[in-house]
This record gives sequence, structure tokens and C-alpha cells, in this order.
Amino acid sequence: MRRSAIIVGCSVALSATLTSCSAPAATDATDTGKASKSGYLTASDASFKGTGPLTVQLDYDSVEAGGLDPQTAATARSWSIESLVYEPLVTVDPKFGIEPLLASSWKQPDATTYVFTLRKGVTFSNGRALTTADVVGSLQRLLKSKAAYAAQLGPVKSVTATGPTEVTVQLAKAYTPFLAALANTPAAILPMKEIDDGSLDLTKEMLGTGPFVVKNHKQDQYWNFTRNTAYRDTKKVRVDDLKIEIVPQEAARLAALRNGSAAVVNFNNIDSMDQLTGTRNAKVVSQANSDFYYLIQNSKNPDSPLADEKVRFALNSALNRTEIASVALGGQAQPTGVTPSVLPGACDPAKLPAATVKTPDAAALKKAGTLRLAVYTSEPAVGQIAQVIQQQLAKAGVTVKIQKYDDTTYGAKVFGAKPDFDLAVGWFAGYVDASMVSRWWNPVLAGFSGTFLNDDKTLDALIDKAAGEPDGATRTKTLADLCARVDTAAQMLPLVTRPSVIGYRTDQVSPTLRTAEGYGNFLRDITSYTLPAGK
Amino acid sequence: MRAAAVRVRRALAMRSYDGLFRAAVWVLGVLLLVTLAGPFVGVGGQPDAIVGPRLMPPGAGWPLGTDNLGRSLLPRLLQGIGTTLLLSCLAVACTALISTALGVIAGYRGGRTAEVILRIGDVLYSFPAIVLAVLVAAVLGPGRTAALAAIVLVTVPLMTRMVGTAARAVARREFVTAARISGVRAPTIMLRHILPNVAGTVAVQGTYALSVGILVEGGLSFLGYGVQLPDASLGLLIQEGGLYMVGAPWLIVAPGVVLVAAIMAINLVGDSLRDRFEPRETRSLV
Repeated sequence: MRRSAIIVGCSVALSATLTSCSAPAATDATDTGKASKSGYLTASDASFKGTGPLTVQLDYDSVEAGGLDPQTAATARSWSIESLVYEPLVTVDPKFGIEPLLASSWKQPDATTYVFTLRKGVTFSNGRALTTADVVGSLQRLLKSKAAYAAQLGPVKSVTATGPTEVTVQLAKAYTPFLAALANTPAAILPMKEIDDGSLDLTKEMLGTGPFVVKNHKQDQYWNFTRNTAYRDTKKVRVDDLKIEIVPQEAARLAALRNGSAAVVNFNNIDSMDQLTGTRNAKVVSQANSDFYYLIQNSKNPDSPLADEKVRFALNSALNRTEIASVALGGQAQPTGVTPSVLPGACDPAKLPAATVKTPDAAALKKAGTLRLAVYTSEPAVGQIAQVIQQQLAKAGVTVKIQKYDDTTYGAKVFGAKPDFDLAVGWFAGYVDASMVSRWWNPVLAGFSGTFLNDDKTLDALIDKAAGEPDGATRTKTLADLCARVDTAAQMLPLVTRPSVIGYRTDQVSPTLRTAEGYGNFLRDITSYTLPAGK
Repeated sequence: MRAAAVRVRRALAMRSYDGLFRAAVWVLGVLLLVTLAGPFVGVGGQPDAIVGPRLMPPGAGWPLGTDNLGRSLLPRLLQGIGTTLLLSCLAVACTALISTALGVIAGYRGGRTAEVILRIGDVLYSFPAIVLAVLVAAVLGPGRTAALAAIVLVTVPLMTRMVGTAARAVARREFVTAARISGVRAPTIMLRHILPNVAGTVAVQGTYALSVGILVEGGLSFLGYGVQLPDASLGLLIQEGGLYMVGAPWLIVAPGVVLVAAIMAINLVGDSLRDRFEPRETRSLV
């Protein structure tokens, strides 16, 4: 259940397909949002000229061991909230390409060298100008840290300032997802001068170059942001006060959207789209994600039948991902391999070895016996997926007992030092390059999966190869091999993608929402939101 | 002792009760009947079978509609009633056993024994019921065992106190003193002289404990600590239905109505029994 984050990169054609798949279910005749230009579910209405406050409700808050330090943030929620304050060198465009942010441009003279030129006129919210020292210091700090995300940056050999506004990153070997990895909040550029002189405690305070500054925050209750007056485009930002309320109950967030006490709301139940049908001034959309649900088969317990690859593969063969997507997620999700199926170059889940098995190995299934399947309570879809899996495996003669835990207990049972589970359902952020998330299948790189995942050297080699090859037919073949190996080893099985459901009040805000998102940040374009004049 | 037995017999005579009591008994009887007969007759099919499209309103193949996985709500509701009632009844039976034993000992012995028993009960009683239940479930792990233990722990303190108070009053009466002077052993006195005289209190408190048990089970399942998927309980069905209150109201209305009816019926039965055993008290519900 890593709530770590997601995406980068998706083709125009794929975006169009996803748009049609995720057409808004609840609409309102007075909706003024402009319907999807390519890559967008909705674009903000330029005729809205107002400024003012905006209230957003989310289901849970950012909770990190490293406090508010963005580099140690490991969940998509933290990345979203902290991205309101911090910015990285590059960002992701609506079609999962990489575009400039704090870097105005970059060059790649060879496969292992990246030269970034910094944007002019960028200052931190305290008024100090961004320097190359901040960029070099931030990236070096991340690489030296024990943050899981550091593994996503790849084999960085050096980061040096090579001019007054130029920073060069040298890699030890080619690493295709490097720019995609830089485009996420943990790789944000921090105010290194203030950190080094001790005047800023990153775990307790936030000081960035982004559009907002934090006014106050009460854990698990609310965040209050105000517009960063030092932000380079501050005059274009229409939201001058942003309140994020943490409301865990789905029904309460539904009610808030209905009565207008919140302007933007996230839902984690796909059926919330139907619940708001016909609600005046409320619109709900489904945003595709590269995030996907997975099934862990704990292979590290030598006494478990799951230690046997044949048993794991037989169980994998008995799963029907298409049925999981249609029954548990109302058809809003799609089957996926370890390369998120919404990303370019992803493998075809229908061609995976287990999917092509007509009759699962009965002898191996018999050995499976009774298995415990751990799920957590905060996300209804996880329980629904578990029940569909239970039925599918029951048909194959395998008894599955679902064990439902609160999130903390689930974390301890699955990711603790002594895992106590046979099967577990959770989800990963899928990121924006097809090879990125596969690094979590290497327990040495991931760090958190070594207690339930055996290190597979063949798989590790494929993960490295997929990361090192440039985009093209060869890499697509390598990604297909990678998917097949994950599917055969069946230690951690990608199941189906995990869509986001976002609701908003058309009488309070005209948001810009992308068709698909890679790092789980549905507030990514908040600086483009427009508000009605009354605001 | 004979007088006590007569009182119990009179208390159980249906015709001497009012319409509310009889209606409540009928409701409980019907719930019990459909719960027991449902699985054998195969009413509505298998509770975990996917029978149609998701979130369908009541129709021919699914008389109470379908849920978010396309399962018919009717067999799940029947399973839920059975789970909730069975779990609660079992838990209350345990509660009655423990509380009666502790209450009678405390009432008869008095002194330090009573102080220790009743003070431990007071400590448990000071926790809000659902917090105590969640604590128990967190220690034992989610599931029926945890739900059962939680209901017992939540309902034992009050019943022990009530039985203890009743037993103390009985222990002071002349026939108990006479038995003690005659050399009758303490266990025999408690079993043959005190227990029959506190049976009414146990019966009344048992009905209240049953309704508390149903609510605790519902609360635990609502929070994910009770009955585990795909089994249904009333609490779990209400939890699931709550997410679909507007788009698919049948998912919360049916289990909600049954839960309200069951608790009302149990409380009315308890109230009537109390009126019968303790006629000097005023009726609390009506």
C-alpha cells in the first residue's frame, strides 16, 4: 500500500482514448468548464475573472516520518500538497512529456550528461533569488539521503555548477527515466542557504519557489495556504487563499460537494460519480492514473506454499484482471502489467504468460491450501478487489480468508520487519516512465520490499536494462520481457490501474484537470484555475 | 425459591403482556425464522455470488437490489441478520454467565470481594463502549472472535453491577440467613437460594445487553474490526450502504430498517420483562 506517487508520459492517441473512457458521469447544465482539449478532462474558463479563496477537501493528510521535508516524502498525497510550495527543475506535460519548470531549458550532449539552464527571476518566498548552489545542494542532499525516492534518480555520478545559471548532472551510465524522476516533488529545489545556516528546519517549515506559502497546518485537520507574493507569476494565480480540509469520511465529502462547502473534492470510491448524478452545480470526473493495484504473494516465508514459484504462478493464472476491473472498479480501470498500461511503451497485459494459460496448474493450486489475504479499510476498492480475487481463486479450489485491517496495522503486517500475511492487496504510484515503478521489484533498490520479496537477479538485470535503454523498439521489447518475468515469478503482481475521482463545484471554480496523471497530483494545475467574478 | 419460579413462569406467559411486547416478540421471531430458514430454503441465492450488474435497484432476480459487486442484497441481508443476532446472542450468553457468577459472588460475599469485582467493573465501565471494543479488536485482530470478546467486555460491567446489587438484597433476606445458620455451604446457597431470585434481573439485563451487543457489532464491523469480507453483518452492510446513500439507497435502507426493528423489539421485550419483574419501576420506553 505504498502511497507513493506516479506518472510521466502518454501519447496523444492514448490520451484521447482515456478521455473517452473516463467521461464525467455527473454533469450539470450550467457547467462552464471547457471540455477536453487534448490531454485535459476540463480546462479553466478564461471568462471567469474572479479571485478569492478556494476550499478543497481530501480524504487523508500527508504523514511522513521526515515531517514536511519534501525529499523524504514517500506518498502521493505529500507530493501533491508539498508541490504547492516546492518546485523541481522540470515538470510533466499533459501527455507525459517533460517540460521546463525551474530550468528554462536543458541539453543532453551525450547519453549520460544533462546540462540545465536555470530560469531567470525565480525567488524563494522569502525573496532570495534561486542560485545554482540551491540546485546542486538539493540534488546532492537527496542523493545522500536515505529517501526511497533517491533510487529513482538513477546512477548519478556528479552534480556540479558549470556556470552562473548552469548545472550539469553526470550519470554513471545511461538512465532514460532521469528527467521523469526529476519532475516530482522529492526532487524539488530547496533553499540550501537557509538549510545550511540552520535558519530553516525543513521538517517543520516550508520555504519554496512555488505559488503558495503555508499560513498554518493542523495535522489531519487542515492546511491553510496563501498566495506567494514572490512567485514569478503571482498575478496570474486566481486562488489567493487555499484551504485544504482533511475529511476522511467519503459521505461527508460527498455532502460537502453537494452543499457547496467545498469547491474541489477527491473521492476514493469510483461509484461516487454516480452518487452525484443530477446534483446542481456539481461535476465529477474520473482521471486516469498510472497508479495500479497489486497483489503481493509473500514468497519469503519458507513454510508457505507461496515460496514455490509454481504455486504463485498457478494462482496468478487463476486471476482474471479484466473481471477485477469491471466488477470491483466499475469498468473505470484497466488491466496492467508492471509497466503501467496508460504509459507509452507499456506491455500488453493480455499477452503476459499467466494470461495466456488456459488451465491453471491444478496440482500447484492444490498445494496452495488456505491463504490469508490482507487488505486495509480506508479504500473501499481494495476490499472489493480482494473479494473478486477470493471468488476467482475459490473457483480454482483455493480458499482465501480476507483479513481487513486499519491502515496502521496493515502497514505493520505487510511492510513491518516480520511480515505476517500470505497475500496482500495495495497500490503503487506508477510514475511517468514505463520502467520507473519496476524498481520496487528489486528489493535492494526499494528497501521496503525485502522482507516479503526474494531478490531475482534475472529480473534485476531486466529492470536495469529497461532503465538504461533509450525509447524505441528495443526498449519496448525489454519492457515486455520485464513484464513477463514479473508475471512468471509472481511475487508481486500488478492487477489493474487505479483511477482518481475528482469532484468540483462549477459555481465556485473552473479547474484545469488532466486526462491522466502520473504523480497523483490532481492539484497540479491549480495556478490555472479560474474563479467566478463573485469570488 | 418456589415463589421465584412462579414469578418467572408468570413473566413468560405471553397473554399477560401488552400489544407492544407481543409485536416485539413477533418481530424477533420472524427475524429468527428467516435467518434460520433462509440458507436452507435458499432464499435469494448465495450471499457471495455475483448475480447481476452492480448497484441495480430491486428487480426480479434481486428482490432487494444488488450491491457494489453485483451481489443480491437479500441473501446478504439474511446472512447479516444471522451473523449479527448469533454473534450478539452468543456474546450475551457469555456475558450472562460471567456477570451472574461475579454478581452473585459479589452480592453474597460482600466486603473486599465485592469491592474488587465491582471496582474492576467500574474501570471497564469508564471506557466508552466502542473505544473498549476497538481496543479489544486491535489486540485480538479483526474477526468474529474479536467482536464476541468486545461485546462481552462491554456488556459485562453493567450486568455484573446490576446482578450484584440484586444479589446483595437477596443475601440479606431471612431465608438466606436461615440457610447459612443451618450450615448450608456457600456455593449451595448461591446456587439454590440467590441465583433463582436474581434470574429476573439477569433476563432483563440480558435483553439490554443484546441490543448493546448488536450496536457494538455494528460499530466494529463499520470500522473494519468485526466480521470479515465477504461475510455480511448488519453493521457491515450499513457501512457499505452508507457510501451509496443517494445513488443506491436500498443498500442502506434494508439493513438499517432491520437493525432499528431488532433493537426496538429487544428493548421492548426487555422493558416488558422489567415491568413484570420490577413492577414498581416505571416503563422507560413507552
